[in-house]
Amino acid sequence: MKRSIAVVLLAVLVGCIGLAAASEPLRIGICKIVEHPALDAVEQGVIDTLTAAGYVEGVDVEYLIASAQGDFGAAISIAQNYQAQGVDLVVAIATPTAQAAIEVFRGTDTPIIYGAVTDPVGAQLVLSATDPSGNENVTGVSDMIPVAAHLQLLKDLSPDIITIGIVYNPGEANSAVLTEMALAAAPSAGVAIVTATADSTANVPLAAQSLVGRVDAFYVTTDNTVVAAIDSVLAASEEAGVPFLMADPTSLAQSTLAAGFDYYEHGLTVGGIVLDVLSGVGTNEIPVTYQPRAEVHLNLDAAARIGLVFPAAVIDQSAAILYGGVVWKRQNP
Amino acid sequence: MALLWIHAVEQGLAYGIAALGVFLTYRVLKFPDLTVDGSFVTGAAIASVLLVQYGFNPFAVLLLAFVAGGIAGLITGFLNTRLGITNLLAGVLTMIMLYSINLRIMGRPNLSLLRVATATRVVDAAWSPLGPFAILAFVAILTLGIKLILDGFLRTEIGFALRATGDSESMITAQGVNTKTMKILGLALSNGLVALSGALVAQYSGFADVGMGLGTIVTGLAAVIIGGTLIRSNRVGWMTLSVLLGSLVYRIAVILALRYGYVVGFQASDLKLITSLLVILALVVPYVRERRMRKVSAC
Repeated sequence: MKRSIAVVLLAVLVGCIGLAAASEPLRIGICKIVEHPALDAVEQGVIDTLTAAGYVEGVDVEYLIASAQGDFGAAISIAQNYQAQGVDLVVAIATPTAQAAIEVFRGTDTPIIYGAVTDPVGAQLVLSATDPSGNENVTGVSDMIPVAAHLQLLKDLSPDIITIGIVYNPGEANSAVLTEMALAAAPSAGVAIVTATADSTANVPLAAQSLVGRVDAFYVTTDNTVVAAIDSVLAASEEAGVPFLMADPTSLAQSTLAAGFDYYEHGLTVGGIVLDVLSGVGTNEIPVTYQPRAEVHLNLDAAARIGLVFPAAVIDQSAAILYGGVVWKRQNP
Repeated sequence: MALLWIHAVEQGLAYGIAALGVFLTYRVLKFPDLTVDGSFVTGAAIASVLLVQYGFNPFAVLLLAFVAGGIAGLITGFLNTRLGITNLLAGVLTMIMLYSINLRIMGRPNLSLLRVATATRVVDAAWSPLGPFAILAFVAILTLGIKLILDGFLRTEIGFALRATGDSESMITAQGVNTKTMKILGLALSNGLVALSGALVAQYSGFADVGMGLGTIVTGLAAVIIGGTLIRSNRVGWMTLSVLLGSLVYRIAVILALRYGYVVGFQASDLKLITSLLVILALVVPYVRERRMRKVSAC
């Protein structure tokens, strides 16, 4: 009698353990360096991708979301916290967060998927953009912008556009890289670049103003500092009567034309990589993914204000226009 | 879980070296020095560039970072004592200058140390029998060594002159001490320590970023004040220990906030709020205890 009770109890215990093990949700840490609409959108995109793939929050997966709030020391602590809590995968949004996560999880096999990193090779997250074999436990998506194509786009607007002014913050890694790329691509695009630096949002209007009368077009990349004061750049460009190209379509209303991609879509791409890795693809099999599907959006209202008529060639390659305060999207891709 | 406490102590002590620097200017010299937000990065910048581009020894770069920080402190000291610019403004001016200088040193806003042999990685490999305690042991030995050297210095004749300059400038001038020299010396030492801390933290984190110094004065002061509240003493040895303790408390607050914040329903964006609340809690407990003791002794 006692023996049978013991067997039953043991079976129940084993069953409980088995049940607990089976229903142990996947732990995914998602961290970013600072709160920012673009980075927040990437975070949301990742979560939505997993949810759409059938990972129910609380049942199949548990998200440990953290923001370093601009404190680089906290970025390390966040990664260490993830390690202590035994996460199964880390999504690190932005360069410093990714670097901190890689340093903490060095030598382990916990996958680190980065997003919103402009130059993964320059930041030494991976050794090569094309050959993933040396990746170890790291892979991800770059939000590199086709700067050369943007310069060409500006040239297509009018043959009078020879000098392009760039407002940027030299203290932002992504921004510095993109500006360097612009300077390198300028000669072959047949343009000259003039830069104006702003090390904080408060200095952006001054920097933009300094370019008035010296340039034939304004260009701003995905620079967090400048984007926060983008209205002042538009105002400066309109004062100069020249077009302003913004490398982020979500800022179309504050620019003459915008080219780039949506950061929520970027988050979806990152989520896609996460799904691949969760389904068994090794991180050392996935090379750097570059965000595809960059689009051109035109702000006809702003163009009218400076008397600019978009050439047919530019209108043909656009995916959306802002006219009469309303955004019109092209139906057939 | 134990791993988290080890990391808290590691970071608490690494940042504690910067807190000792802030202690030297703010408490000893009575000079509120904002240069530290810049000199912290200068140390990180010097260390990173020397490691990545010139393959320097990762322990030697700590010393060179100290020197670089010292130069930054000299600039602030010069602005204040020779050009008559008030202490707060002198520090701010140097900090702003250092932003551009640091960018020049690094050549880019972010320099990765993930592929070089940093001090922490070397120690981790060399002391591998200690396991997860290897880096902690290294940081502890380094920090306590610096603390003891600082304590020793503050008990020398020059050290006393430095302390007296902070306490009563007119009195010590009457004794024949050149307070201008003392201030410059104090600022140089202080920023040297902060830069050393920056170099250590950069190697610990795996990267140097031009923005990583933001808030150094705040966390440094927090450590000094928290420590001063927890250990009340006028003796040098206890004061420097309290500073390190304060830095530890602050880092533990950050880690606790990260680990358990969500339990109370906080979101990721509430990190700084929770950290501050935990620090307030750490300060309130001894304060309440002291008031109770006073009430008891009053009756």
